Amino acid sequence: MNHRTSGDRRLTEEGVHDDLQRQPHLLMKLAENALTVAESLRDNYFKNTARFVTALRRAMHAAGQGKRSDPILTAHGIENADWSAVQGEVVTFIDGGVGRVQISSQVPILLRVGSYCVRTGERRLAERERFGYYPVILGDLEGGSKERKDFPDIVRITAELLGGLSVLDRTPDLCVLMFHGPLVYLMGGYAGHTPFTERDTDLFLRHYAPDPDLGRQLKEGFLREARLDIYPQMTDRSDEWIKRRVFEPLAWIAYLYRRLIREARRRKPTPIIAGVVERGELRWFSEKVLLERVFRGLRAKGNADYFNRMYGRSDLTSPKALLDRLGYTDTLLLAMLLQPGQFSEPWEIEKYEGLRRGAVSLPGEAGTGLVNFAPLKPGKIGFPQVRGCYVHVSETTEPVRVEVFEELGADQIVEAARRTYLYARLLPGYGFPVGLDIADKLAHVPAWLTDAYGKLIRYHLGVSLQRGEISDADMRRILVQAIYMTHRDWLFRPKA
Amino acid sequence: MAISNDAQQATRYVGTIVGESTSREFRLAVAHETIREQDIIAVDAELRQPESNAPPEKIRVWAKVQHIERLNPLFPAEAGHELAATRTDPFDTVLSLSREMVTAVCQVLGAEPLAGRSGGKLDHLRYPPQPASSAYRPDSKDIARVVLGELQQKQKRALDIATLSNRPGVDVKVDGHAIVKRHLAILAMTGAGKSWTARRIIEQLAQKNYPIVIFDPHGDYTGLADVPSLKDQVQRYYAQFPVFEQEPESVITVVEALAWQLADTQRSMFNDLFKGAKAFVSGTPEELKERTQWLSHHLGNETILRYGLRPNLFFLADFVTAVVKAGKSKDQEALAKIVEWSGRENLRVTRQVANWLEGLTSRLRAAAGTLYRMERINQKIARSAQPLPTDRTELVCYGQISIVALAGYTGDFQATIYSIIADDIFEARVRDELKLPVLLLLEEAHNFAPARASMPAEQRAITTTRQIAQEGRKFGVGLILISQRPSRLDETTLSQCNSYIIMRMVNPADQTYVRRVVETLAEDEARMLPDLDVGEAILSGQLINFPVLVKMKEPESKGEREERDAFEVLEEVRASIANETRR
Repeated sequence: MNHRTSGDRRLTEEGVHDDLQRQPHLLMKLAENALTVAESLRDNYFKNTARFVTALRRAMHAAGQGKRSDPILTAHGIENADWSAVQGEVVTFIDGGVGRVQISSQVPILLRVGSYCVRTGERRLAERERFGYYPVILGDLEGGSKERKDFPDIVRITAELLGGLSVLDRTPDLCVLMFHGPLVYLMGGYAGHTPFTERDTDLFLRHYAPDPDLGRQLKEGFLREARLDIYPQMTDRSDEWIKRRVFEPLAWIAYLYRRLIREARRRKPTPIIAGVVERGELRWFSEKVLLERVFRGLRAKGNADYFNRMYGRSDLTSPKALLDRLGYTDTLLLAMLLQPGQFSEPWEIEKYEGLRRGAVSLPGEAGTGLVNFAPLKPGKIGFPQVRGCYVHVSETTEPVRVEVFEELGADQIVEAARRTYLYARLLPGYGFPVGLDIADKLAHVPAWLTDAYGKLIRYHLGVSLQRGEISDADMRRILVQAIYMTHRDWLFRPKA
Repeated sequence: MAISNDAQQATRYVGTIVGESTSREFRLAVAHETIREQDIIAVDAELRQPESNAPPEKIRVWAKVQHIERLNPLFPAEAGHELAATRTDPFDTVLSLSREMVTAVCQVLGAEPLAGRSGGKLDHLRYPPQPASSAYRPDSKDIARVVLGELQQKQKRALDIATLSNRPGVDVKVDGHAIVKRHLAILAMTGAGKSWTARRIIEQLAQKNYPIVIFDPHGDYTGLADVPSLKDQVQRYYAQFPVFEQEPESVITVVEALAWQLADTQRSMFNDLFKGAKAFVSGTPEELKERTQWLSHHLGNETILRYGLRPNLFFLADFVTAVVKAGKSKDQEALAKIVEWSGRENLRVTRQVANWLEGLTSRLRAAAGTLYRMERINQKIARSAQPLPTDRTELVCYGQISIVALAGYTGDFQATIYSIIADDIFEARVRDELKLPVLLLLEEAHNFAPARASMPAEQRAITTTRQIAQEGRKFGVGLILISQRPSRLDETTLSQCNSYIIMRMVNPADQTYVRRVVETLAEDEARMLPDLDVGEAILSGQLINFPVLVKMKEPESKGEREERDAFEVLEEVRASIANETRR
């Protein structure tokens, strides 16, 4: 009797079906997709997905056995990662959280960055762990465009980076610095915020720089570069920007990244700096790497119509079209392709496509001026290049994306993936590094705190109203509603 | 009471009230290892009198730590399972192990004015302490005062029996009045320190000259006589059964307990037989000599001549045998002698009656043999040559501890002896013939008041004990029940006890039973029972102001059963044998 090994079965449609049934989160995601894709794709969505994944698995297997010269995806095993190999390492996890207050709607009010530093193998509790958290009250800041939804994000990114720099500065033997979320965000989306003032920057630095001189050096270092290289390339009003000592958020963040990398490169060995992303909706890897190779292979074999035949369509002619129509994402596809304890081949992540010209107003000004953000693309004054990979931790979780700085060396991605897997194995049901979960809990702004702030804000608004400090009738009515009406009240029902 | 200043309070700080606080319970966020379960703590508060313009009164709220919760919110259970599966030491990982939340759940005991009160009586708290208030560890002196409660003014009633388990410097005194008047139960598993505790209480009561009668089935209390200060107060009795000083009904009870039940015909004649035998054996020496010779000759039993007539069950059996023999053979001459010497005309029995009585002789001999064996053992363990007085009330004397040794007797005979004595004493108190109050101590009380009676002797004991438990308070008869199997105790009797000393208890049935019957025992305290150390006890009920965990103080006396190392004893015996051989 011919028994199939479990490895063989993985390469069959039945094997893929079995895998999906064992992973309810994938099944749910596919069911969700099946309901949202075009009607003509719905009927055989599961079956066709299984066929597609089977074909991909077979291609990977063939490449692994040297039977195929054009691998579509290389997976590396890290399931043997062991704690004994990482003893004595100092690891710091960083995460930021935003507290929102219910006034008439949710208003972000407070931001908190938490850090958790631990030395593996250290038995003395007092020496083993250090916790830090740094609050920023968003209302204290003069800069940033508070009317924009992403205002708290730009503050959080800045605060997290400063937290990372601070950790690096005060931990000479730091081995791993791990951020919760992307190491670098898609920065184009954050362009156009009103620059921070020097006072804002002082507020940030008050928390992060243990030594006031260090904060001053950081600030002056940026302003010097801004004066010489950055602002002249970005704006025609660079003289005024320099004169007012403003900190354009993206330029300031890019500077902090470069500073972080520079500090890390000075260290021997170079600390691993990584960002770990859970539940990512990114599909860049699938589109630009994985499916690009698949389509190329199909074209090479004269089988370019493969997907159209499979799905009974005529428009599935490119990776983008396939992903658009079928709703696949990186994590969904890689969850079906990678086995637990594997990480995908690394690739360079394009983070800066959106950096182009945009309008910016300076603090206290109503008008805007045009600013060019393109100089902030990777280069001497720009953001760093980022490489990423996906790590599949356990069968019950989606792969997490790990990002590292390319400049810090090729081994960063392997070491970051290995540690991510090791740290996340401790939470197999979550599949995310346990240290980041701890930092997340520290950064979380508790409800009672935001409630307390909410009450204070409502109280002060109420006092202003009673004193007649707000005379505009409409504004008064809006404020009354904002302060006193949390639910629809009979008093404020629309007039019949 | 001195008001503690801020600096003192800072050093004694134990935690801060968090979450919802009620007038019965609050939660305390505490620093690591600053507090233990059953610790007594205090919180200062201010309370405004309703409808009063007076400034708020400063009060001190007293509370007891019921249980402590320890949680590391940064250490997920999932991670623990993973560590276990991979056999990984958590210290080798990046898991956080240092951030723990320790919360003490405290039961409010009561409150008193902070300005001071001479006594330790606590008022009911009717308004919860303020969240964020600081809790602190009070002075030992203050704790002792509060534990003592109203006894502060009634020191004559106080018995010094223990120290607080978590604060060995704090003496715990209990209300002796509550013990002697309203009954006490000492419940624990074997080896937890029941007898040790009871002896300590007895020694304390003896100092107050309270009359005590101890029913001692194992010789646990014989050592009391060795305590110098109690030497003249302790009387030990061995339970030789003075058959002819009993009422016929009592003797029937004993015979039935040690042999088997009497037939109705035997029972109907027993009064005449018993009283006749008593008259037969009560004569001048010359008369007794003549009667001995006659009985020996009549029965053809030379042993009677050798040992003479002794007033015990053997003699009663011989006497009944003589009546049966004379009746069956219609020996009128013998019957006349029996009637003459017994003074009972009814003993001129017919052949039919003699046949009925024939079975009584075997019952009497069986009972006599068993009783004799038990008496020998009992006498040896009691280390006393003093038999029980015929008048049971003589056991109750001012300043006297009467120990009735029951060791050697079977359980039903112990129950019989106990019920005869306890009945007599209680009856004497009811009829006011016994002037002194008394405390009866029942070691192995489940034998004297079992939940279910399987024999008439036990049924009688239950009835007696239940009656004393229910009505003893009115007539000055108190009980101390000691048991290692509380679930086998009569529930009515146990529930009549107003004070409890509960020690280590592992048996789940016993724990459940105690939790159900002892109303003053809180859930958290009940959960501690299997984890108590030897000598540790929870005092609960009227003997104490509020339930506390204590360490019992050592009694001066030693118990017969306090075991020495078996191997040491073996070596000592070997050495003594070797010495004798050399001699």
